Amino acid sequence: MLGRFDYERPTNLAEAVRLFAETPSAAILAGGTDLLVELRSGRHAPRLLVDVKRVDGLRRLDVGPRGDLTIGAAVSLNELLEHAATRWSFPGLAQAAASIATYQLRNRATVTGNLCNASPAADLAPALLVLGAAVGVAGPRGARVIPVAEFFAGVKRTTLRRGEIATEVRIPAPEPELRSAFLKQQRLRGHDLAVANVAGALAPSTGTLRLAFGSCAPTPILLAPIETKGMSAVAVGAAAAAATLAAASPISDVRASAEYRRAVLPVLVRRVVAELLGGGAT
Amino acid sequence: MNGRLETATVPAGMTLLEFLRGRLCLVGTKEGCGIGECGACTVLLDGKPVTACLVLAVEADGGAVDTIEGEARDGELSALQKAFIEAGAIQCGFCTPGMIMSARGLLRRIPNPTDDEIVEAMAGNLCRCTGYEAILEAVRVAAQAKAVPHAGQMVAGQSAGGSGSQGGRLSSPRVPGEGGGRG
Amino acid sequence: MAELRVVGQPVPREDAVDKVTGAARYTTDLALPGTLRAAILTSPHASARIVRIDTSAALAVPGVRAVLTGADLDIRLGLYLRDKRILARDVVRYQGEAVAAVAADTLDAAREACHLLRVEYQELPAVFDPRDARKPEAPLVHPDLATYDHMRGVFFPKAGTNIAHHQKVRKGDSAAALAASDVCLEVSFDNPPVQHVPMETHAAIAHALPGGRVEVWTSSQSPYTVRHLLALAFGMPHAAIRVHVPHVGGGFGGKAGLGLEPLAYVLSRACGGRPVEIAMTREEEFNTTPSRQGLYSTIRLGATRDGRLTALEAEYVWDAGAYADYGVNVGRAAAYSGAGPYALDHCSIDSYVVYTNKVYGTAYRGFGHLEVLWGVERAMDRMARALGLDPVEFRRRNLLREGATTITGEPFTNGHGKPIECLEAAAEAIGWGRRPSAPSAPHKVRGKGVAMLHKAPAMPTYTSCAAIVKLDEDGAADVLVSGVDYGQGTYTVLRQVAAEELGLPIDKVHITWECDTAMTPYDWQTVASRFAYMGGNAVIEACADCLCQLRAVAAGALGVPADGLVCRDGKVFPRQDPARGIAYKDLALGYTFPNGNSIGGPVIGHGRYIATGLTNLDPETGQGRPAQFWTYGAHAVEIEVDTETGEIEVLRIATALDAGKVLNPLLCRGQVVGGIVQGLGSAVLEGFRFDDKGRLLNPNFVDYKIPTAKDLPREIVPILLENPQPGGPYGARGVAEHPMISVPSAIGNALRDALGIEFESLPLSSERVLEKILVARAPRPDTP
Ligand SMILES: Cc1cc2nc3c(=O)[nH]c(=O)nc-3n(C[C@H](O)[C@H](O)[C@H](O)COP(=O)(O)OP(=O)(O)OC[C@H]3O[C@@H](n4cnc5c(N)ncnc54)[C@H](O)[C@@H]3O)c2cc1C
Ligand code: FES
Ligand code: FES
Repeated sequence: MLGRFDYERPTNLAEAVRLFAETPSAAILAGGTDLLVELRSGRHAPRLLVDVKRVDGLRRLDVGPRGDLTIGAAVSLNELLEHAATRWSFPGLAQAAASIATYQLRNRATVTGNLCNASPAADLAPALLVLGAAVGVAGPRGARVIPVAEFFAGVKRTTLRRGEIATEVRIPAPEPELRSAFLKQQRLRGHDLAVANVAGALAPSTGTLRLAFGSCAPTPILLAPIETKGMSAVAVGAAAAAATLAAASPISDVRASAEYRRAVLPVLVRRVVAELLGGGAT
Repeated sequence: MNGRLETATVPAGMTLLEFLRGRLCLVGTKEGCGIGECGACTVLLDGKPVTACLVLAVEADGGAVDTIEGEARDGELSALQKAFIEAGAIQCGFCTPGMIMSARGLLRRIPNPTDDEIVEAMAGNLCRCTGYEAILEAVRVAAQAKAVPHAGQMVAGQSAGGSGSQGGRLSSPRVPGEGGGRG
Repeated sequence: MAELRVVGQPVPREDAVDKVTGAARYTTDLALPGTLRAAILTSPHASARIVRIDTSAALAVPGVRAVLTGADLDIRLGLYLRDKRILARDVVRYQGEAVAAVAADTLDAAREACHLLRVEYQELPAVFDPRDARKPEAPLVHPDLATYDHMRGVFFPKAGTNIAHHQKVRKGDSAAALAASDVCLEVSFDNPPVQHVPMETHAAIAHALPGGRVEVWTSSQSPYTVRHLLALAFGMPHAAIRVHVPHVGGGFGGKAGLGLEPLAYVLSRACGGRPVEIAMTREEEFNTTPSRQGLYSTIRLGATRDGRLTALEAEYVWDAGAYADYGVNVGRAAAYSGAGPYALDHCSIDSYVVYTNKVYGTAYRGFGHLEVLWGVERAMDRMARALGLDPVEFRRRNLLREGATTITGEPFTNGHGKPIECLEAAAEAIGWGRRPSAPSAPHKVRGKGVAMLHKAPAMPTYTSCAAIVKLDEDGAADVLVSGVDYGQGTYTVLRQVAAEELGLPIDKVHITWECDTAMTPYDWQTVASRFAYMGGNAVIEACADCLCQLRAVAAGALGVPADGLVCRDGKVFPRQDPARGIAYKDLALGYTFPNGNSIGGPVIGHGRYIATGLTNLDPETGQGRPAQFWTYGAHAVEIEVDTETGEIEVLRIATALDAGKVLNPLLCRGQVVGGIVQGLGSAVLEGFRFDDKGRLLNPNFVDYKIPTAKDLPREIVPILLENPQPGGPYGARGVAEHPMISVPSAIGNALRDALGIEFESLPLSSERVLEKILVARAPRPDTP
């Protein structure tokens, strides 16, 4: 047994928000692939789980008229991966989602849950950061939107306020021919959390490159945009690698030492840049 | 539950795995880790493979659950089960129920999967005995058996075995996943 | 030998039907009415005195039936060295050691009670590195070692030290031979402790019965050893203990000897005879149950300029962890095999099994050989390079061959198999001698490597086993043995043997799938790749016994002499007159004449086998005959290394083993592929990590990774040679453990080939590989 708690499965958002906000020590249950592990370990013992998977509207996965994408809080990673428009417009996001856990878990794990869990290693975080995504939130004091870049407050901490539920992830319409890519270093080819992960998005028309990385600082980090016009892929890669290392503050853990993280992070960055700009290494 | 309605009142903290094994005595589904890492507890929930250790029993309320106990129909082994046997995909057998449920989920979704799709679908199930090769082969064979009905005998016995010995040595049999299978 | 009908065929497993339907029952799938569930509390400290344990709050939890601590149990357990208790008593010796156990109506109640146990510890000095533990000032893990019972004349615990066993091997004069060598080298290597990771964790159920009896169901490799050790520990007659082994979800050595059975028993006793089930969580499996010992080795090699090995000296320092009951035998076996399969006139090996304050070691597939050969086979490559010789050629010149003797003085004959053929076959399969193909990207490099392997069963000189074969009313045969088939396939092979011998089709031979010490005949324990060999011989003898009985009854029925009768195709018939046959089914329970008179009776054959010709090793020189048979083999690999991330990909691995005779190619291939992939885990991924307080940092599948279906080598080429083993069933030898051995060595050698960098430590993780690449590339301050 994972603990003694109550379980509610509301079907409308207001009810979900009310239950969550009113109960001291309640937790939102989405796919449960992080939460149930926490409960089993005893590190976390909420009194109520509010399952948001049946809440009306949270299953939405739709593309707006201009190509913006909304991913409801009940959408699983596999549903995202099976969504052709996502794979087509946001290949980096699809690569990140496909790199998470196992096929079975991706049937449960949600996109929003990956962000709300706020692990420094969350693979979707860098992929969403470079797309300028934001999290739609509903709470006792109404709805608001938090850019993913402002969503993480620290290891396992978000800027969600008490009683707030993330309802969706919104990805703005991509710039024309936007390219994106994601790479993850892990200890084996099989499922593993990232030793380091890097996502990039390049808007060919403007030459602006966005890069983000994870598992090398207390939160995933988005770098300042890099202008690539007139620069070779190698030069961009070098500049981006330097910027990444400057922003990184990795620790040593069981998966890897800080030194290894510092060594592979620039490699991943250069490879992502090469993939986006063409030519170069990989 | 395997096509039958089951009604039960359970505590919210009970996992689907505990419910299956403890309440319904469906002990074919195994626990290998309890944290979603090993796949031994894989069952289908609404047709999709999930790890039953990371699903609450209450979450399955109103849903359809398929377990290994439902795989053979009317005492007849499924093509998948037969392929596992003939390919030598079983050693200690502890991972087998989960493996078969993962494969079942795959074949429902994609009746004729590529090697990459097979690996992707099966890689969430750990096996310490077989080295996976025969398991992947079994899924491949079962998919072919499905795709070409009545294709005759299972070919796994020969493809995984390499039956005869020649000049004091067994010829090395075909190895699956030439070029494929890299996830 | 006559043409074989069944032996050698790819017969699938009979139990597979139960396994694909979920019907196969493992220990925790069994449910006796009224079974209680148990949980344990483990020590957070690596070394501490248990000052007191307050059980009052735990006992107050509703549903709790018993709480036991080490204070309640003054019993020492062990197979070779009785150094362990059921629950820690007075002191804890490793983080993860069980200090108390609770049995309750539900697992939740038992766990809750464990949380409420208050244990006061006083931390004691600890020692974590076996090299430190050998120093005179090191804290003693077992100050009372002198008083521990052990197998005398075989193991030599050193009182007043942390050395549980010191195994010596001395042949010739290695010091003089090294001094006279043209080329000498000395290299040190290390291996971390590694876990078996059976997918089914340890589990046991005990039911204490009136009259001091007990019935046990356990996930074990050793039903009779469990019974014997329980009998010794509790002073019970053997017949008072009945041990069942249902299906077992993998063992790999980790379920040899005693496991959770004594704890389940004392809990059941404490609960007034309610059955008690205890099963490890995956975290407990890592933290509490035994692992493979770590090893530090130093190897000195000497050779002549023309490539002949002159001498090998080795020091092996085993990290036994807190208990060395089984570890001592690993240290012993790995010493008498500790020079690899090479012809050496001069050899000196010292193998020390040293206590430390870490989770303890036990048998693990390969039994020390993977660890030892990691060093030996890397050292051989270095020597070849130092001599300017091709590693295959260097090995070819020095491998054991007819006329040589092993390092314990055993003459090597062709009946041992052909290590040189293994080497050549493996090397050829990866195109040895040709340059590696071009890497798949500019930042990648490729390399090739080979490594030899060998191993013999490590078992007492008197190891024995028995088999019973009985005929059913329908003329089918049932085989009963107590070796456990926990996946390796022995039962299928034994069915094939019985079918062959009895002249029955395979589907008319069955094997009883549960070992039960009250029903199935004696077997020492299922370890050491010995059961196909020993059990196979016992089944052959049991079948001969059946045939003899069948012939005797048929002779009476037909009125002809028994020695003119032939048994084939389920019938007994006169050699000259096959048409006058009697079907087994008409003889199985006795033969009835048309008038009703009957002769004979149920046909039940029995057969036995005992290890023959083995001797204890001389304590000073290690000389003697330790091995019933040896199995030799070789791996050859081609790898690709990403020089920017350190990742290794195995492109191809060819593994040649001299199996003597392949009894079942389907299952044999399964053993080879499974072993290779497990060996790959040891090579590139696996290893325990501890913090400076001796706490295990990776006790779960998030942090401790084993290979998945995505991690397979791109191509696996098993090659099985068949140079028969005299005395083996149909000439077969054991091959179950061997494929795993030396996989790391071959990959390490290929890595050297690819990068020009020497690796001494396992695992060859991406991180470790990259670290060395970066060091090698860094500009050296001292070069001009
Ligand atoms: C075996 C295994 C492997 C894994 N591998 C990876 C990996 O490779 N990469 C990776 O990034 N992650 C991995 N994870 C972690 C996990 O699967 C992902 O983070 C997943 O996306 C979480 O989603 P979920 O829906 O399961 O979240 P849940 O477990 O349901 O929730 C996670 C946390 O977020 C909160 N939460 C969830 N939804 C909301 C919401 N709508 N509003 C407010 N709070 C919410 C929950 O209360 C909880 O605290 C792995 C987990 C396991 C068990
Ligand atoms: S027991 Fe569920 S994944 Fe391991
Ligand atoms: S067959 Fe044993 S774990 Fe897969």
